[in-house]
Amino acid sequence: MTDSLMFVMQAVLLVLGCLFFAVGTLGLFRFSDTLTRIHALTKVDNLGLGFIVLALLPLAPSLAGGLKTLLIWAAALAASATSAHLIARAVHVRPEPPETGEADHD
Amino acid sequence: MPPAPVSPLITVVFRGTVLFVVWWALTLGESSGLAFGAVVSALVAVVSLRLFPASGFSVRPAGLMLFLGYFLSRSVVAGVDVARRLLSPALPVQPGEITLTLNLPEGSPRWLLANTLSLMPGTLSILLEGNRLTLHCLDTRDPVERDVRETERQVGRVFGLAVDDSAEAAR
Repeated sequence: MTDSLMFVMQAVLLVLGCLFFAVGTLGLFRFSDTLTRIHALTKVDNLGLGFIVLALLPLAPSLAGGLKTLLIWAAALAASATSAHLIARAVHVRPEPPETGEADHD
Repeated sequence: MPPAPVSPLITVVFRGTVLFVVWWALTLGESSGLAFGAVVSALVAVVSLRLFPASGFSVRPAGLMLFLGYFLSRSVVAGVDVARRLLSPALPVQPGEITLTLNLPEGSPRWLLANTLSLMPGTLSILLEGNRLTLHCLDTRDPVERDVRETERQVGRVFGLAVDDSAEAAR
């Protein structure tokens, strides 16, 4: 009984994580400038990956395996915060040109 | 306020231990690699002291735990907040920039704050110059400054610093 309950919980967390990733990607299309798009990617992906890691933790073969899974999340967070900051600073220093109408036809 | 200097030995032991735990996790506790990992961790810890000298700020375990709790709960808020805006047909955002004067001291605390803010609801660190931090806000109608000050307090607690709210009080 507890096994199947755990399985359902994991499935829900995995689906939730994937949905957040999908929404984050949607942000790339719906938001119109670089900085706003980064908001979508950093925050939503952080949460999406967090849910997936949470779902996978009970499956970890050992304590070290679980810690490794958590480390992946921590590394992804650090990389996401750092790259977001670097892109934001680059845009700030050299503002992007306004989007041309031609982009709509892609 | 210059922080009290930490002995280099304590720094090396602390960094070496953290590195070894990371090694242990990455190798999934494989016993044949532990001795090699211990040697590498020790060497890297010693080299790291030359590359990144001890900052003098020491991490408080209790403060770190409280910060992690705060960080996790705000991460959920941040993700749900952006998702809600994105899925709403009207796309309710009002992007803008604000520049704040930080109360945290130079070094690790400011760095941790800037990186944390990029993952917190509605804020993205753009530029950190001295004690001035420029943020991009997803919605300038939100109480961004209040949230930043709260995050600042939480980061301060990690390093056992009482954050002086003079910048806020002066407003």
